[in-house]
Amino acid sequence: MNLYSLHNLGYQYEGRKILDIEHFTFDEGQTLALVGPNGAGKSTLLNLLAFLTRPSRGEIVFMGQTATDRNRAQLRRRVGYVQQNPYLFNSTVLENVELGLKLRHVNRELRRERAMNVVEQLGLEHLAPRRAHELSGGEVQKVALARALVLEPEVLIMDEPFTYLDKRFVQELEQIIVTIRENRAQSILFSSHDQMRARVLADRVCSIINGKLIMESSINLLYGLFRKEDKIFDTGRIRIHTPDDIEECKLIAIEPDQIVLSRQKLDSSMRNSFQGKVKALHMQGKHIEVTVDVGELFHSTITRAAHDELGLTLEDTIWLSFKSSAIKTL
Amino acid sequence: MNFFGKAFLDAFNLIFRFDAELYFVVWTSIKISMTSVFLASILCIPLAVVFSARKFPGKSFLQSLLNTLMAMPTVVVGLFLFGILSRQGPLGGWGLLYTQTAMVMGQFILIFPIILNLAIAAANTADPRIKTTSIALGASKTQQVLLFMKEVRFAMMAAIVAGFGRAIGEVGVAMMLGGNIEGYTRTMTTAIALETSKGEFEFALALGMLLLLVAFLVNSILERFQKLHK
Repeated sequence: MNLYSLHNLGYQYEGRKILDIEHFTFDEGQTLALVGPNGAGKSTLLNLLAFLTRPSRGEIVFMGQTATDRNRAQLRRRVGYVQQNPYLFNSTVLENVELGLKLRHVNRELRRERAMNVVEQLGLEHLAPRRAHELSGGEVQKVALARALVLEPEVLIMDEPFTYLDKRFVQELEQIIVTIRENRAQSILFSSHDQMRARVLADRVCSIINGKLIMESSINLLYGLFRKEDKIFDTGRIRIHTPDDIEECKLIAIEPDQIVLSRQKLDSSMRNSFQGKVKALHMQGKHIEVTVDVGELFHSTITRAAHDELGLTLEDTIWLSFKSSAIKTL
Repeated sequence: MNFFGKAFLDAFNLIFRFDAELYFVVWTSIKISMTSVFLASILCIPLAVVFSARKFPGKSFLQSLLNTLMAMPTVVVGLFLFGILSRQGPLGGWGLLYTQTAMVMGQFILIFPIILNLAIAAANTADPRIKTTSIALGASKTQQVLLFMKEVRFAMMAAIVAGFGRAIGEVGVAMMLGGNIEGYTRTMTTAIALETSKGEFEFALALGMLLLLVAFLVNSILERFQKLHK
C-alpha cells in the first residue's frame, strides 16, 4: 500500500516557491532518503509529510486518507518526527521519552513500561534518570529517536539525523536505522546531504533540488559476512572483493552507475566480475536501469547508447563487473 | 552609643522577641502581596504565552503601552482606585475603601503590567523548538500551552518574584486604599512611614530589616529552585 502519495504539492513562503512536486508515491515499509543541498526544501517536505505545516496547494494522501485541516492533528499522531537538532524538555530522559504517551493519556505504568522498552532497545538505560539538558549532541539525538519510536508510529521521519553527531554516534544511528529497516516495523524517511550515506541506508534515494524531486535511483545493497583475512565479502550467494583498507562491515553498497555490463568477460583491473541474466529493463530519462541476477540482484544504470550497443533483451546472459573501490561499506 | 547603633539594637530586640504587633504587620503585608501576585500571575502567564505566540494588529502598540505601565507610580494607581472606590465614586456602594480587598485590587493593577511584560519577555526568548517539538509529539493546543509554560517556568517565576518585590515594597497603594488601619490594613511599608513620622525609629527600622529579609528569602528560594532543576 502507498504510505504517502503526493499530488501537485506546493509550498510557498512569503511569495517564494519552496516546494513543487507534481506526483510522488512512497510505499509502506520502505526506507526513503531525501538528499539535496541546504535550502533545497528537504525540511519543508518533511514538515509537510509530518503534518506539521499545511501545503500551499495540492494534497497529501497518507495510508489512503487525504490530509485536511480537520484530520491533520490526528494524522500527525501517526507519524514519529525527529527534527534536526532536536529539543529535549527540561526534565529527565525517561520523562522525555514518555512525553508523547502522556499527551495521549496513556496511564503511568504502561507508559513507563513502553518507554523503558525503547530505552533498553536503544541502549540508553544508563541515561534514563539523567536530566536531558546534561546530554551530549549524540545522546540527545538518540533520546529524541526513542521519544519518537515509543509512539510506535507508522512512519519515522528524521530531518538530517547525522548532522550534529560525532563518528561513534553516526555509526550507532546507522545501525539503528538498519535494524528498523530489517524488521520493517516502520517506514523510514530521512534527509541527508550525504548522498553516499543515503544510498547505503535507504531502499530509495530521492534528490531534491530547488524544491523539485528530480531523481531517484535504486541502490545495490548487500548483506553478508566479511572475511578479514582475504578481504572478501560473502553474501552467501556471491563473493565480492572489497577494498584493502576495510576492517569490518556488515553491509555494502554499490552505486548503479559504477557497474559495467558487457557481453564478454572483461579483461580489466575490475576485481569483481559475475555472469548473470537480465531480469528487467527500465527507462529512466536518458538512462536505462538494467536489473541483472547474478545470484544477487544488481541494478546498473547505463546510457541508451550503451544499451543499444549491447542489444540487451530480457533473459540475456551478460557479464557484470565493478571495481572494489566502487564498494561503500557500513 | 550613637543613635543609629542604639536603633539597630532595639530593632533586633523587637525582631528576636517575636513582637506580636511587628509580626502581625509583616503577615498582613505578605498576605496581601501574595494574593495580588497570585491573581495577577494566573492571568498574566497564559496571556503572555498567547501574546508571544500570536501576531495581531496593534501588538507593538500594546507592547509599548505595557512598558509604560511598568513604570506606573504607585500613588497614581492609588489615586485612581481611590476615586472609584470612595463613597462618591462609581463603586463606592461596595464599601471597599480602606479594606484589604481594595489593597489587593490596587497592587494587582500595579503589578499586572510588570508580570505580564516580564512573562512576555520570557516567552519571547524561549527556544522556538519547544513549540515545534510539542506539536510533533501530538500535543493538543491546550497541551502545547501547558508544555510551554512548564518549560519556561523559571523565567516565569522570575517575573512573579519581580511582581512580588514591587507589591510588598510599595507604599502608595497601601496607604491610600488601605488607610493604614492598625491590626487590619497596616503593612510593613505603611507602618514604616507612620512609625518614622512618630519618631519610633527602632520599630520602623525593625520593619525595614524584615522587609529586606522577606525579599531576600523569596529571591533565594527562587534561585535555589532554579539551580536544583537546571
